[in-house]
Amino acid sequence: MANKRPPFWQREQYTPFLLLLPAVLTLLFVVLLPLLFSLYTSFTGYRLIRPESLWQWVGLRNYKRIFADGDFWVAFGRTIIFLTIALNLEFLLGLGIALLINKITWGQRTLRTIMMFPMMFSPILVGYQFKFVFNDNIGILNNALQALGLSDGAIPWLVDKYLANFSIIFAEVWMSTSVFAILLLAGLFAMPRDPLEAAKVDGCNPWQVFRHITLPFLMPFVFIAMTIRSLDVARAYDIVDVMTGGGPAGRTELLWTMIARVGYDNARMGQANAMAYVSILLSIAFTYYFFTKLLAARKYMGGAE
Amino acid sequence: MTKMTFRKLLAATALTGITATAVVAEEVDYGKFDGYTLRVKLIGGAQYEPLYARIAEWEAMTGATVDVLSRKNHFELDREIKQDIAAGTLDWCVGSNHTSFAPQYGSIYIDLNGVIADATLAEFQALALENSTVDGRLVQLPRHSDISNLYYIKSLFEDADNQAKFEAEYGYALTPPETWDQVKDQAMFFADAPTFYGTQFVGKDEAITGRFYELLVANGGALFDEDWNPTFNSEAGVEAVNFFKDLYEAQAVPAGSLNYLWDDTGLGFASGTVAINLDWAGWASFFNDPENSKIAGDIGLVRAPKGSAGIRTGWSGSHSFSITESCDNTDAAASFVTFLTSHESQMVEATAGLLPTRAAVWDDAKAQFTADGNDFLVEVFETYAVSMAEDAFTPPLITPWIEVSNEIWPQLQAAILGEKTPQEALDEAADAARIVMEDAGYL
Repeated sequence: MANKRPPFWQREQYTPFLLLLPAVLTLLFVVLLPLLFSLYTSFTGYRLIRPESLWQWVGLRNYKRIFADGDFWVAFGRTIIFLTIALNLEFLLGLGIALLINKITWGQRTLRTIMMFPMMFSPILVGYQFKFVFNDNIGILNNALQALGLSDGAIPWLVDKYLANFSIIFAEVWMSTSVFAILLLAGLFAMPRDPLEAAKVDGCNPWQVFRHITLPFLMPFVFIAMTIRSLDVARAYDIVDVMTGGGPAGRTELLWTMIARVGYDNARMGQANAMAYVSILLSIAFTYYFFTKLLAARKYMGGAE
Repeated sequence: MTKMTFRKLLAATALTGITATAVVAEEVDYGKFDGYTLRVKLIGGAQYEPLYARIAEWEAMTGATVDVLSRKNHFELDREIKQDIAAGTLDWCVGSNHTSFAPQYGSIYIDLNGVIADATLAEFQALALENSTVDGRLVQLPRHSDISNLYYIKSLFEDADNQAKFEAEYGYALTPPETWDQVKDQAMFFADAPTFYGTQFVGKDEAITGRFYELLVANGGALFDEDWNPTFNSEAGVEAVNFFKDLYEAQAVPAGSLNYLWDDTGLGFASGTVAINLDWAGWASFFNDPENSKIAGDIGLVRAPKGSAGIRTGWSGSHSFSITESCDNTDAAASFVTFLTSHESQMVEATAGLLPTRAAVWDDAKAQFTADGNDFLVEVFETYAVSMAEDAFTPPLITPWIEVSNEIWPQLQAAILGEKTPQEALDEAADAARIVMEDAGYL
């Protein structure tokens, strides 16, 4: 009697697909469909307060408007500069903190916990905290500067073109430097001792050890942290919205404060989605760049390609 | 509402005084909605909360339960409501609203004419109801009104030394200002940055658009012509922008003004570091409370000054309540909003300085303040009653108002900071506003 073939879902060659199906379906419904939907709306005149406008096809009009909109590109450029400065500062400070904490032998756990405090606050609270610190009239900073005799005027921290951007970057760096510090500290913990000791035996000074052994070993961790943080910072919204709202006169406008205003306050969700799709290119570019660097760093260390 | 005795309400509120209001609370029948849960979204914030303490009373009277789904500031509430419209999740009954926001929401709210009894509506001020009407539909029941008048530190104006110096410098006597030009002179005279400022203004969002708008009108200009073409880039508009710009450049206002909203200016004046402050009545009690304010007992108040066209500034609006089309129990919702805007509810809000929308409450509140010996609030109510009656005007009640405003205020900031000339900034804003109006079908 010939064996009857089992139904296809019980056949062995399909098992992997079957097992993957829940994950695939979840991704499809939770990620892909909303993405496709928002991509579709970017070609419509969709306005939140007019649900029927979802079917108003306008072709490339939203994109044409964006490409002709100087303010959008200024915000785009400012976001790149903001991202570059914030990431580099966070990296340098995070590296410094990680190296220092790695040195101490007593109270390290307590310090690690304390270091993570800023990460535990909601970005909105951080925004309010620094809005108060940098307030020109009743803020702590100006009052401290005046009391110490370092300044005799009210410095407009949140209004001046450079100071306002500095203030926001300061808040962002204060909140997130510990992300770098924690990841780099993990890297330092995982570091093999042998090459360090070998280098010392060979007569390397501390700087040479750091430059040629510690740092290359840490680079993969750095790039992972950079990737995560670049996605975070490229979406920066809460802190900026609370501290300056993107103003004054658009001086601190980043992509997402602009997109939120267009999408919600002006209710032009179609146009906002088109802006969001253009700005996603930025995140993709940064992620691609950091992953390339990550692979190069791992290759340098003799790791997997 | 099952059986609401509006006649009793009418009769009771015709009386004046506190005794009358106590009677009203007992006599009005707000209906019975046993077991029903009314879902609401309300505006939150220190000045709005005291009224909500009364919700428990309505629950006890009607047997219904109120489920407050959100309690946010108006800008956040606005976003949430827009998301609800988009997602089709308007599964709640009552929402806080405002005359500036209402026109955006289209037909999600019902026309309250015929739902709220005529007798009740008759007790509201005609102007407040008119401003709550969009396309002939009464989409909101006004809760309290908002208009600004000018507070000043009295002792500064009474100081003989100040009077002599001011007159020598500007050639006229130092008295509480009657025109905005005088405000500018006096603000510059009093300013001594960074420790003391002449005046201040809110510097972003719809707040500064509104301040610009009222000064534009006071200078004889208009936002739009009768065909909805933007006309605010006129001479009157440039004059209005220059008012802000000159004060900013002379450091007569705090350097961070362009980042200020209502709380910043209110707290700034209460801190005693600002001489003159244009603000709404909601701050009055706060300003005169020694626990919160360094200038308590030293505050003068005059009607908002006149612009160059001899018109007084009077940007006005009302906070309000609306009922959704999708509400599953309009009677309960109507009972609830009637209760929250009732005579006794408005008396509660009036005590904080919030301006009533029921005509009778103006007199009753004043009578109560007089009985309490609170002369300052009596003066506040008298001044604001005149400006509500004679000076009040709303922004255009059109769907794209907030969007037009979002085109105007960044340009105002750019002009004030000197990045553009006032004319350039207003021209750019007018061009952008034209596109908004075209997209919205007005042009």
